Amino acid sequence: MMSQADRLHFLISYMQQENKTEQSVPDDFDERFEVFRGLANERPAVKVSREFLDVQDAFLSEYNTDGVTDFKSLEPVSKQFYIWQGDITTLKIDAIVNAANAEMLGCLIPNHNCIDNIIHTKAGAELRLACAELMKKQGRKEAVGRAKITSAYNLPADYVIHTVGPVVQNGKVSPMKQELLAKCYRNCLLLADKNNIEAIAFCSISTGVFGYPKEAAAATAVAAVKQYLEETGSAIRVVFNVFDTEDLKIYENLLT
Amino acid sequence: MKKVANYLWVEKNGEEYTLIMTPELQDDIGTVGFVEFTKAGEVAKNDSLLELEASKTVLDLASPLAGKIVAVNDKATDEPTLLNSAKADESWVVKLTGVDETEFNALADA
Repeated sequence: MMSQADRLHFLISYMQQENKTEQSVPDDFDERFEVFRGLANERPAVKVSREFLDVQDAFLSEYNTDGVTDFKSLEPVSKQFYIWQGDITTLKIDAIVNAANAEMLGCLIPNHNCIDNIIHTKAGAELRLACAELMKKQGRKEAVGRAKITSAYNLPADYVIHTVGPVVQNGKVSPMKQELLAKCYRNCLLLADKNNIEAIAFCSISTGVFGYPKEAAAATAVAAVKQYLEETGSAIRVVFNVFDTEDLKIYENLLT
Repeated sequence: MKKVANYLWVEKNGEEYTLIMTPELQDDIGTVGFVEFTKAGEVAKNDSLLELEASKTVLDLASPLAGKIVAVNDKATDEPTLLNSAKADESWVVKLTGVDETEFNALADA
């Protein structure tokens, strides 16, 4: 059986061969992972060999067992609501929400520190291929405020729900953008309920590189989810996933 | 009579209702580069009228009213920046008939 380091070596070599590039593969495991990640991020949605997928799946399924949190171990803050601080790619839950962009193929910038990037990296090449299939069928870019569902492949979650949030410049949230952000939450929940998903974890949509002010975004997120639950009577359990302590406080103030 | 809803002006002329881009909407989306109108002959409230790709966003523009689509601004398909125009005869989106007048009256005044 290949070691994790050997698997990374194989995957890196495979993608370098595709690119017709050659660079030495670092010995250090973490550095090696970053090289793999960068190549995987840049890799277009083109066919990949069965062997690559087998090795990649073996690697990621083992890699992704590290530090997993099971949704079942979380305590609700109130009725259907949960707040959880951590890396959303380590959460074992029915569905996680990805903050995608209009191309909806996953972040193509090598090693970029965004949620779209790490979700695609740790889900595996299958996720980009699945997204490409959906986008091909759609025939044009993904509008803000909608939602699409795919398998989560190698992630501990079962599904990824992809949504594109509004971009805010200079911190100015127009009424339309606020409405669009609410629409993201609403459409993710609708799609989740349609797929009999019982628990969903939202990242803070639009608050990363899309520039939506965190507090305003959280207020809209919570209001939109509450409104949806009231209107539909849905029993879906909702996790607001936060990354840092600042976000945690914002959501705690809104929900407790 | 003119109303505003879903960031569109709704202009009533007899039985015909014209939906027009508002400056607020134009500001929010930036320069329009691509549009595709719905192929539906009738729309319900909040159904998509057109999908557009603009410099600041990709947007699904929703109808504020239910009705029958009797005309779409076809020229904008070839020249999407018409939707950025300040002139209503260039930046209109669709014309509807068969609209429930009480629903129209319930919209905010422009």
